[in-house]
Amino acid sequence: MDLEPNKKFVVPIGPQHPALKEPGHFEFAVDGEIVTGATVRLGFVHRGIEKSAESRTYVQNLYLMERVCGICSHVHGTAFTIGVEHLAGVTVPPRANAIRVLVAELERIHSHMLWLGVAAHEGGFDTLFMYSWRDREKVMDILEEISGNRVHYSANVIGGVKFDISEEQRGKILSSLDFLEERTRHYLKVVNEDETFLGRTVGVGIMTREQAESLGAVGPTARASGVERDIRVDAPYAGYEQFPVRMITDTRGDLHARFVVRIEELFEAYRVIREILDHMPEGELTARVPRRIPAGETISRVEAPRGELLYYIKSNGTDMPERVKVRTPSLCNWGSITSVAVGHKLADMPMLLVGIDPCFSCNDRTITIKSAGVDLGWTWEDLRQHGIEAYR
Amino acid sequence: MDTIQELERVETLLKPYAGEMRRGEANRVDVPLEVGQLKAAVKALVDARWGYLGAIAGVDQPAPVEQGGPAANGHTEVIYIFFQGAAAAALRVLVPYEGGSVPTICDLIPSATLYERELIELFGVTVTDTPTTEKLVLPDDWPDGVYPLRKSFTGFDGQQV
Repeated sequence: MDLEPNKKFVVPIGPQHPALKEPGHFEFAVDGEIVTGATVRLGFVHRGIEKSAESRTYVQNLYLMERVCGICSHVHGTAFTIGVEHLAGVTVPPRANAIRVLVAELERIHSHMLWLGVAAHEGGFDTLFMYSWRDREKVMDILEEISGNRVHYSANVIGGVKFDISEEQRGKILSSLDFLEERTRHYLKVVNEDETFLGRTVGVGIMTREQAESLGAVGPTARASGVERDIRVDAPYAGYEQFPVRMITDTRGDLHARFVVRIEELFEAYRVIREILDHMPEGELTARVPRRIPAGETISRVEAPRGELLYYIKSNGTDMPERVKVRTPSLCNWGSITSVAVGHKLADMPMLLVGIDPCFSCNDRTITIKSAGVDLGWTWEDLRQHGIEAYR
Repeated sequence: MDTIQELERVETLLKPYAGEMRRGEANRVDVPLEVGQLKAAVKALVDARWGYLGAIAGVDQPAPVEQGGPAANGHTEVIYIFFQGAAAAALRVLVPYEGGSVPTICDLIPSATLYERELIELFGVTVTDTPTTEKLVLPDDWPDGVYPLRKSFTGFDGQQV
């Protein structure tokens, strides 16, 4: 070991699950226990989705985009379809818009509860982790009930949505929400009152409003630093005009504030879902969309559970896009980690990392697996044939 | 309503630097810029606190085949997208494959570094004075000079993309 006094000691963390079971590599320079610098290397699960999009039709791309992320698949589909519909000049029926918002808010509930569990686990609070994941099953059941799937609910089609909400499903959703709301009140109490939890979160990883803005933080991470920015409010899309949400912010900017903001957003999600179920517009579920999309460009933005999600779509008048650029929220939030980490104890790093609710599939989008010269990657045709055989 | 006012404000702010601005969508103004004016234009937005940088998108524009020119004559269009509420401003510069570059904007907007690294890695755009040019998303053994988001890249050894 080099013992020269002025050399930095670098602690590599990752690429195997630095804080959660996904790959990212960090190097923290430390002076004793205190972090003095941090760098990030991503791309371990980069899949080249933007490139793939250029050789697929818009309909195929919808399925591809839903697979950018397994946690927030619906918002990716929504951002993409909204952009394509805009280019095609199609107006989506109000009922479809309401269902899009309904599913988006259910997704937010499942995502925030997933995060709460992971964050509690990183804080050494496994009881809260187990409880929040047990309760999260309720919302997964709702999603399965209405879409047939727990994870890739695939609610969107270009021009509308695939499924309706029946009267029976409405009842089930409402009763599950009552249960979830009561549980969420309990979590809020725990997060605000438990001594050990407060010890690990209050005053830790403070990011001021100015820092959040200059580092480009988004979503609950930014809102917990007092940045008033929420696409659902700033530029309402789908059904958010008819069913507005209240923006939740906190000015403290520490880890505790990030917990409180996300938990408060859960209550807001419950309220909006009830609102939608009580005032569901009648009508069709889909509008007709041409196969070829007129040439043009559009930028569509939605508020994913982790923050602003942006799609830039350029059409060249064919049935395949010229370019699709996806800017996911986690990418923006990494910048905040590498700066905020400085001055904190190494032991706080997992909590800090998880504080932004990082999602690796968010920022890593082809992976080709090669083993001893044998290419294990599948071509599009292989996949297509497999799909046909498997579901015959 | 607000959106229209914000668009008018950004048009006034950028008028000294831009070529002919155009409303690309009801909520978006497209601002074509010479590379030399980019930095001044970004500074004008930052100083006036107009919005925030949403993303930097690269769009490959290879030389049209029918013109018969060499492939090297292609361009990358670099689009700096800013948002203020629902209003969007897209600052657009054209960077030739050969000899072209854009200046970094990280000194004005530190969070731009990730987008600039993407541009360098995936499109082969030279970004001068950018704080770090290390790989961000591609594997360590990715060959030099291969830029996957250029249209000319269609995979290795006949593998489909």
